[in-house]
Amino acid sequence: MTEAADLPEATRHRLEELEHGLFTSDLSVNEFLLVKHAGFHPLGFVMGSSIYHTGIQTRRWGKSQELTKLTEAMYNARELAMTRMEEEAQELGADGVVGVRLDVNYYEWGRDAAEFIALGTAVKAEDGNSYLNAQGKPFTSDLSGQDFWTLMQTGHVPQALVLGTCVFHIAHRGLAQTLGTVGQNVELPNFTQALYEARELAMTRMQDEANRLGATGIVGVRLEEKSHQWGSHTIEFLAIGTAVTKGTGAATLPVPTTIISLDN
Amino acid sequence: MSDVDHPEASDLPEAVGRRLKGGAWSSGLSVADFAACVSMGLRPLALVQGFCAMQWSAYAMSGGSPWGSRPTAGAPQGAGAGAPYASAGSGSGYNESWPCPHGVASLEHRWGGNYEQPWAEHAWSQGFGSAYVRMVEEAEEAGAHGIIDVVDTARYLSEQSVIEFHVTGTAVAVEDSPAPAAPWSTYLAGQRLAKLFEAGFVPVSVAAAMSSVMMWPNCQTEYLLHGTSGWGYSYGGEIEQVINADTAVRRLARAAVRSQLGSDTLHGARFAITRHAGNMGGHVIECTLRGTRVRRFKDFDPIPAARPTVRLS
Repeated sequence: MTEAADLPEATRHRLEELEHGLFTSDLSVNEFLLVKHAGFHPLGFVMGSSIYHTGIQTRRWGKSQELTKLTEAMYNARELAMTRMEEEAQELGADGVVGVRLDVNYYEWGRDAAEFIALGTAVKAEDGNSYLNAQGKPFTSDLSGQDFWTLMQTGHVPQALVLGTCVFHIAHRGLAQTLGTVGQNVELPNFTQALYEARELAMTRMQDEANRLGATGIVGVRLEEKSHQWGSHTIEFLAIGTAVTKGTGAATLPVPTTIISLDN
Repeated sequence: MSDVDHPEASDLPEAVGRRLKGGAWSSGLSVADFAACVSMGLRPLALVQGFCAMQWSAYAMSGGSPWGSRPTAGAPQGAGAGAPYASAGSGSGYNESWPCPHGVASLEHRWGGNYEQPWAEHAWSQGFGSAYVRMVEEAEEAGAHGIIDVVDTARYLSEQSVIEFHVTGTAVAVEDSPAPAAPWSTYLAGQRLAKLFEAGFVPVSVAAAMSSVMMWPNCQTEYLLHGTSGWGYSYGGEIEQVINADTAVRRLARAAVRSQLGSDTLHGARFAITRHAGNMGGHVIECTLRGTRVRRFKDFDPIPAARPTVRLS
């Protein structure tokens, strides 16, 4: 985990106000209802951000390779944003953060810099039990309020939002390679292999994070691909999901019932 | 699949093995689908995936002329659970000429035609098939009984003549069951899968095919497509050549998927139609038909009467 700086003064002031009973949250009304039904109440809207210079890394035109410096930068920047969000949640005495969103923004004034932002709603259990994860921190999860309730019904509890990333340069085809396949519909094994390898690396790293937390599984895994500002042959593969463990409670899934919706 | 290459079975990256042997399982299921999965006695094992980057060349006429006369392709292809993909077309080929109705010989007045494009169908089935087989290999490596929530996509990479086929799903094991010979697969997950079981069916495999028809409009069709009716002719409503091409492309996709089903049935069939410009002023119409091949294992138990509800979301 990357070291996080101290919270800004304005943040401390905002969090102190939240400790007096008022809460803020980006939960919808239905999410709020179900988070309460799951036995948690919202404490406050928490966030963390990091503006990171992603730099450059030389790449060979005709070689598929991971760009490790960029991979590290993309990973560290997100970790910094997440850590700062967790700090805010800890400051509020939260057990976890639900509905986490992780965004990347680029600004005109800093072409090589990107802002990584983590946002979510800090929640606390009403039964007095601790739901801190294996590292003693509030759990984080990108699940909505509805999904959070459903997950608790399955007897699982979230541990952390886990992610793995891999920035990969996909080789260009040379003239000889291009001419050699003119007029044919054939698989291009170099491309297949490069993309396969890159996604696998991202997924393996995400899974390693979950293993370090002692999680039993990861739900809602998404595989995202973006070229950001590096050109079309350099792609970031991001695997992200919520690591979960089996809780102490038994699964209490309701029996499915056939319904007729009265909504329009 | 006699005229389509089978992908090699042992070409998965090394990282796949490492990931699948890891401690925590992963799944692309939503939490609601995960909950339904647990309640059905299915245990997620891993998010499994397969890819294939294909060169996609319009000039590769694997048999047949650019004017569409289809080669003698033979019997229906792709039958059996192990080959849930097939080239479209029933073997008869679709080829229809559209003479100029005006009877005038000039550059403006010309014949047209609708032609099946076997090369595109074969390329699609090869790309989809290779990606699918690799996904199934990953599931076998994870010791899965089945693969649920299958999603397949095809998109152009930055080099415009390269298409990447991407097939993903969540490998699952049936609690307290011996390992099967080969994993089944389905586009369904969660409640829809639970309802399928409830209705007395089990999934066998996904079934998918793409058909492609090139339409070179004759002069009359060209007029109508531009909002005019041509000198002396006024057809009014339908543009017959377009209707025939649209009908044929769906029929070809349906025939190809039907050839994969054997005595089973197709559940949740979905047509996806795309249109783009072809060579020499032609219009390409492509139809992808996807669904889950299902087999009956018990009689349907009547479900209880539905309860009226109001959704809060």
